[in-house]
Formats: sequence, structure tokens, C-alpha cells
Amino acid sequence: MYWGGNPAECHPRHFTKYTIMQKSKFLPRGRKDRTMVLVDIRETKSANAADIFLQIKPGKDFELITILRAMIKDEYVADEQINATGLTRETLDDLIRRMKAAKFGCMFFGMGLSMTRGKHMNSAALLMLAAEMNAFTKFVAMPMRGHGNVTGADVIMRWQTGYPFGISFNRGYPRYNPGEFSTVDVLVRGDCDAAFIIGADPGGTMPQPAIDHLKRIPTIVLDPHITHTSALARVHITTAPQGIAAPGTAYRMDELPMPLKPALKSPYPSDEEVVRRINEAIARKPFWLPDGSQPQMLTRQV
Amino acid sequence: MPVTFHLKRTPTVPLEAEVLTPDVIGGLSNAEIRALTVYHGKRQLPLGEFFDVEGEKCEDLVLHGTMPKVRWVGRAMSKGTITIHGSIGMHLGAYMTGGLINVHGNAGDWIGAEMKNGFIHIHGNAGGQVGAAYRGALQGMRNGTIIIDGSAGLEVGMRMRRGTIVVGGPTRDFTGLQMKGGTIILMSGAEIRTGAWMKRGTIISLKPLQMMPTFAYAAHLNPVFINILARTLAPFGIRLPNEESEGAYALYSGDRSIPGKGEILVWQPGA
Repeated sequence: MYWGGNPAECHPRHFTKYTIMQKSKFLPRGRKDRTMVLVDIRETKSANAADIFLQIKPGKDFELITILRAMIKDEYVADEQINATGLTRETLDDLIRRMKAAKFGCMFFGMGLSMTRGKHMNSAALLMLAAEMNAFTKFVAMPMRGHGNVTGADVIMRWQTGYPFGISFNRGYPRYNPGEFSTVDVLVRGDCDAAFIIGADPGGTMPQPAIDHLKRIPTIVLDPHITHTSALARVHITTAPQGIAAPGTAYRMDELPMPLKPALKSPYPSDEEVVRRINEAIARKPFWLPDGSQPQMLTRQV
Repeated sequence: MPVTFHLKRTPTVPLEAEVLTPDVIGGLSNAEIRALTVYHGKRQLPLGEFFDVEGEKCEDLVLHGTMPKVRWVGRAMSKGTITIHGSIGMHLGAYMTGGLINVHGNAGDWIGAEMKNGFIHIHGNAGGQVGAAYRGALQGMRNGTIIIDGSAGLEVGMRMRRGTIVVGGPTRDFTGLQMKGGTIILMSGAEIRTGAWMKRGTIISLKPLQMMPTFAYAAHLNPVFINILARTLAPFGIRLPNEESEGAYALYSGDRSIPGKGEILVWQPGA
């Protein structure tokens, strides 16, 4: 089940390598043994691959998932409420029957869900639906990640700090609060007085107030290319592209680490080397916490 | 004679000043107050670096200045008062268990987050997550009262357990998200998805709301508890109509997706 994504154009190998085409011990006929559902606001190329295409009204994802959460528990939802999402009761009854009859359901959600109005709560809704479907059959949910090694960043932050993103270390221990410490919010509010950007291009993707703040403060960019962010940064360090001219580890969307071997030589240092040298220079400075000071916890323990 | 703080240096990055509570300040001399540690970003600096401090040994604090970057003021306070003239940043009165906070200006996000008791009055606008639960926590505010005269942001009263929130202006999406109890009163309504995933609790709106599809209309009524609530809130200039001649409340119950027993009361004049 794909929700708010267009894998046919954005993740072209997803169908054939992972989700619907592969033959396996329990699904020997491959595609014929599987049912694919696509939920989106417009008919994309992925709809051709889907058995069921559900076209919903824009901005109704959260409402529809909440209706589904009610209906899988046999709670009554009025017809006009279902119709307001752009679907009919028959469609949803059929969908729920198929979901409950499945042996193993997997939901993939894209930016159409996680980046529209409601944001994290839309994703949370789908994750809750997947969790509650486990009362009937096995169900999981997974985000369709974008380009680059975004999954890797989340995984590393998670095992190093316990949290995937939106972390502050200013107290000497990791604190997690998306909305307060997440990059876009920090930049929009102007909370930081320096920015170090590695392998990303916020200058091309973030809202204008965030870009304006990046221009105001010293911004350092590590990137193999000249990006929008490099144009407004004080310092741009060109690095060797990972996987092409620098070794490393990339995490696949399902969090499987894949070692990368460089095929070419590059005159530029790798990201790792640059960060290591910056770290060494910082280590020569006096430690930022006063001697003998302990982290002052800001949790509920008073 | 209250202890008065005048902001003299504007912080360039967030200033975490959880020491600004009556519990900490109450027993300290002027020099000790100025020597208290605050976090300017990651740097530990004395409070006197940012504030001119007048007075000592008093549980009444008065703050002056534009302080949208000053965070955690009144954290876990249990007694005394804090009066703020100007704007204030995030986490005001988080975890508080008693006492009184008055803000004559705007406030940031997470006001009164996970508070247990006490009273917060914001005379301007507030940000999101008022009286909410922190990420990963199961319960938001346990008790107490938050009154906001202006507008508020996203996820007001998220996962709150008990207590009262009154918002004079409009609120944004997800008001009363995953509420487990307590009362939210919306004088000027809210944007979409009000009361989503409610388990219990009451949302009272004096303006029409766009209801979640999983809420069902139950009845029109003039509940008696509104009279008691109105009497409690009358000293703050909040008027809750409940005369049968004026109209009635439409009761919606939900959220059926949980399935929850929450109730949303929408005032309908002349109904």
C-alpha cells in the first residue's frame, strides 16, 4: 500500500526489487500473489501498476486514515463523512476486507502524506493504523525516503543519542524536541548563530525566512557541488562524492547498511576527513563546560 | 518588594533560564541571584550578565524586556508569582506545580507543558503545544488553569489529562489532540482537526468548528456544568453563554477511531 508517493517515477526500482514483482517461497507467483493499493490525490504513473487506485481529495489524508482506524474496529462512520474524503463506503469496506485478509501488509508513505498540512501527525496517523492492523494481521509501515543517505543520518543519530533528529546537545546530553530543535524551525526563528551543512541543500528547499537567516550567520557548506546554499555560505568546502570517489556506508530505505567502494580518485578530501580535521582543531580548544560541571537536566526530575 | 529583572543584553541564541523561578530565587540575596547559572546556547554564564537585578529574598518575580529567546522561565515552580512585561519564549511554566504566572505580552510554544497545578495568564498571543505533553510522554497538563487572551498555535492541550485551557482568539490545527481529560474553551473557534483522537475530556467552542469525520452529533443541550464553569471564569472577564433563551450547545461525541468518549460542545445561538 503506497500512500502519497509516486514510486514509479521517484523510486523506479522499488516495485521490481522489493515490493510487488519478486517471487518468493510463500508467494511463488510474484506479482499475481500480491495486491497493491495506491492512495494519492492525483493519478500518477504509479497508478498503472496498482490493483486499486484510491483518489482522495487534497488535505483529507488524516481524516481518511482516522476513518479507517474507526472502521477496522467496526465503529460507525456516516456516509457523508466518508464521501467528503472523495471515496465511498463500498471502496473502504472492500479495502478493509482486503487489509484484514492479507497475510502481511506493508504501507509505504511519501511526501504527499508527510509534507502536506498536518505534517508529522499525518505520518503518525498512518503508523497508528499500521500498529492497530496488527490486531488482525501482520502490518508494518515505512517512509519512502528521498535522495541521498537520509536514512543513514537517522539511524546513526538514533544509536548514538537515542533520537533520530531534532536533537540539542547544549546541556551536555542529547535532548529531543522536534519543532524546537529541528533545523527548519531553528533557522526560521533565528535561534542559531552559525550553521554547518553537510550533504544537504537547504538554500534550495527551505522557506525564505530560513534562507535569510542562513545569509545572516556564518554558514559552512560541505558538498561535492556548488549548491544554492554554497552561494549564500561564507565557506564552501568541496568534498569528494560519496560512493563515487570516497568510501563510506549508505543506509538503504529499510535501514540495511551498504558499504560503498569508490570507483574514481578525487583531488578533494572526503566529508569524513574534513569533519575529522575540524574536530581535531576543536579538540585543541579548552573544553566548553566548566571544570567539574555536570549536565543540568531539564527533564521532569526536579 | 518583588525581585525585578530588566533585560540588559539581548541573547543571540536561546537563553535557558530555568533558575528564574520563585523556588530558586525566593531565598537568595541579590548577589547570589546575579551569580545563578543560565545557559546561553551551550555556554554557562551568570544571570547578571543578561539581567539587571533589583531586590532579593522574595517569591514575587517581575521581568521586563523583549525576551522571545528566553526559555524555561518558571519551570517546575511550586509557589510565588512571576509577572512578565514583554514577550517571553518557550516552555514558560513547564512542569509547574503551583503559583501564578502573568504575561503582559506574547509567549512562545509549550506554555505550561506537563504542568501539575497553578495558574498561567497570557494577555497576548501564545504559540503551539499549550499545556501539552512533551514528545514521547503520555500525559500533558495534569491540572491547573491556562488563560490566553489572544490566539494560540498548533496542538493546544495535546494529550492533556486534567485542568482548563481558555483561548480567547482562534487556535490552529489539532486543538485537543489525543486529549485524555480536562477542558479546553475556545472563544473564537479553531482551524481544522479539533479534538482529533480524543479519548475523554471536553472542548467547548463558542464559534462553529469543522468537525472530524469520526465525531457524531449527539444532542442539543444546555449542560449545568457550564454554569459552574462560567462562574469560575467570570472573574477573568470570560463569559460562557448558557441561557436557553440565547441558544444551546450542540454536543458531538468521539473520537470513534480510538474509540473515545470525548465531547465537543459547539455553541449555537438561537438553537
